[in-house]
Amino acid sequence: MYREEWMTPKRRFLSGLFGGKVDRIPVGNPTSVATVELMEETGAFFPEAHLDAKKMATLAAAGHEILGFDTIMPYFSVQNEAPALGCEMDWGDKETMPDCTTHPYKEAEDIQIPTEEELLKVQSIRTVVDAIKILREKYPTVAIIGKVMGPWTLAYHGFGVQNFLMDTILNPERVRKSLGKLQEISVMFANLQVRAGADAISFPDHATGDLVSPEMYRDFLVPLHKKIVTRIGAPIILHICGNTLNRAYLIAQEHFDCFHYDTKTDVVELKKVLGKSTTTLIGGINNPEVLLFGTPEDVKKQSHFTVKAGVEILAPECAIPLRTPNKNLKGIVEAAKEIPVGQ
Amino acid sequence: MVEMKEISEALMKGDAEKVKFLTEKKLSEGTSPLEILNNALIAGMTEVGKKFKTLEIFVPEVLVAARAMSWGVEALKPAWKGRDVKPLGTVVIGTVKGDLHNIGKNLVVMMMEGTGFKVIDLGINIPVEKFIQAIKEYQPDIVGMSSLLTTTMGEFKKNIEAFKNAGLREKIKVMVGGAPVNEKYALNSGADAYGGDAIDAVEKAKELIGQVKLALSDEPLGV
Repeated sequence: MYREEWMTPKRRFLSGLFGGKVDRIPVGNPTSVATVELMEETGAFFPEAHLDAKKMATLAAAGHEILGFDTIMPYFSVQNEAPALGCEMDWGDKETMPDCTTHPYKEAEDIQIPTEEELLKVQSIRTVVDAIKILREKYPTVAIIGKVMGPWTLAYHGFGVQNFLMDTILNPERVRKSLGKLQEISVMFANLQVRAGADAISFPDHATGDLVSPEMYRDFLVPLHKKIVTRIGAPIILHICGNTLNRAYLIAQEHFDCFHYDTKTDVVELKKVLGKSTTTLIGGINNPEVLLFGTPEDVKKQSHFTVKAGVEILAPECAIPLRTPNKNLKGIVEAAKEIPVGQ
Repeated sequence: MVEMKEISEALMKGDAEKVKFLTEKKLSEGTSPLEILNNALIAGMTEVGKKFKTLEIFVPEVLVAARAMSWGVEALKPAWKGRDVKPLGTVVIGTVKGDLHNIGKNLVVMMMEGTGFKVIDLGINIPVEKFIQAIKEYQPDIVGMSSLLTTTMGEFKKNIEAFKNAGLREKIKVMVGGAPVNEKYALNSGADAYGGDAIDAVEKAKELIGQVKLALSDEPLGV
């Protein structure tokens, strides 16, 4: 028997996001829960769903309608800004995520910051904004989450990951200048989504634990992130993949509302560090072993563990593998309904 | 006299120009390219690998060191001419379909070439048909596949199944790797080995073809 639920999904999610009271543990998706199964059920497939607002909204809404999540997230990949930077794209197919195939920047001076009007003319940008408008109209009680890439991720698109990472050592000044410019695109796109109706903004900035040192994170990103959070008109969820424990003390200083962590990070230790800050936690369910190859029972077990560790909102740890079975994703919602709150 | 250690240290700092300069100088002093490769370049890169494993350094530091190593390997090339060099083995490598992330794969290629493997780098976003075609064409000892994304790592299993169906699985060893992959996942996918990083990948590759000690022997290696 499930308890009575008296909050709308939106109130539940936002309250959880700020560390407040909830009628049950919220379930969210700050990255993407698009699966091949959901595409088949809704008839909205990749790659069209990246560039067609109606299809994007339909596929995204399945995360709430079919899976029962408290949130809807319409931006499925990490690439919708890339065409605005001048990258050429491979939008992939039903079973693959899109990726940029060219990296136009050589110097910081190559980065052109568009106006809002210019940004909105880029189809992949406009699609996200229009999809949020559609979803806001249709789902006033569900939390709509927008998404923008942080400047570090945009620099990967613009310069290429390898070149950009080497520049952090060989040409740090170029890196600093580039990030300073690129943050304008992150802020602009975020506020376009807020105006369209997004309740929160997911902010992946892939200075991941596996890639760069905490010192680089501190020197290049902390000052920028601190400014960015004051300029975006909605709660912001930072997302970083990999083990982030060694930079958790820095994340705690940035004043994001919430942090979407990877299960490679020891969540008990992470909570010890972030628990002292205003930043809550979202995530906890492992993708490759639990969601993709595990069972709903495995999902429930990890959900219980995650909530016990103090995580405020349950979610897959990252964009899920496209072949993830829906029954495992539904398992997160079932677990959330079983787990006692407020004790 | 250039000390081997000087070359290694320049490599560890990622100073490619200095590695090239010192490698050329060391050659001109009469040292054999094999000795320089093993005792300066690979020795430096092994140290880099150790520091990477213990989180003293991260990917950017490894990348600039690998770039320096490739400048050193390049500087050695003229000195190998005329020698009968036999590769340790042949490796066909690529990132799986849908995955365009090639840093890890590039590091593995660089290290494998540096240590004497012949590497056929198919590049990124490689559909299984292309892997199969390359296996038939190059008859490699090892096929390496890389995936950075949790959304693409499922390709390993699919590809290995396809190798089986094409009757090719028994003829090759399969290695996989990539940031979200671990040994358990790799073996579950049907691979023979998992490379945790570029240096580990080289070690595993050597184990797979049973030539663990070759890199340090007196035999000249293919570069």
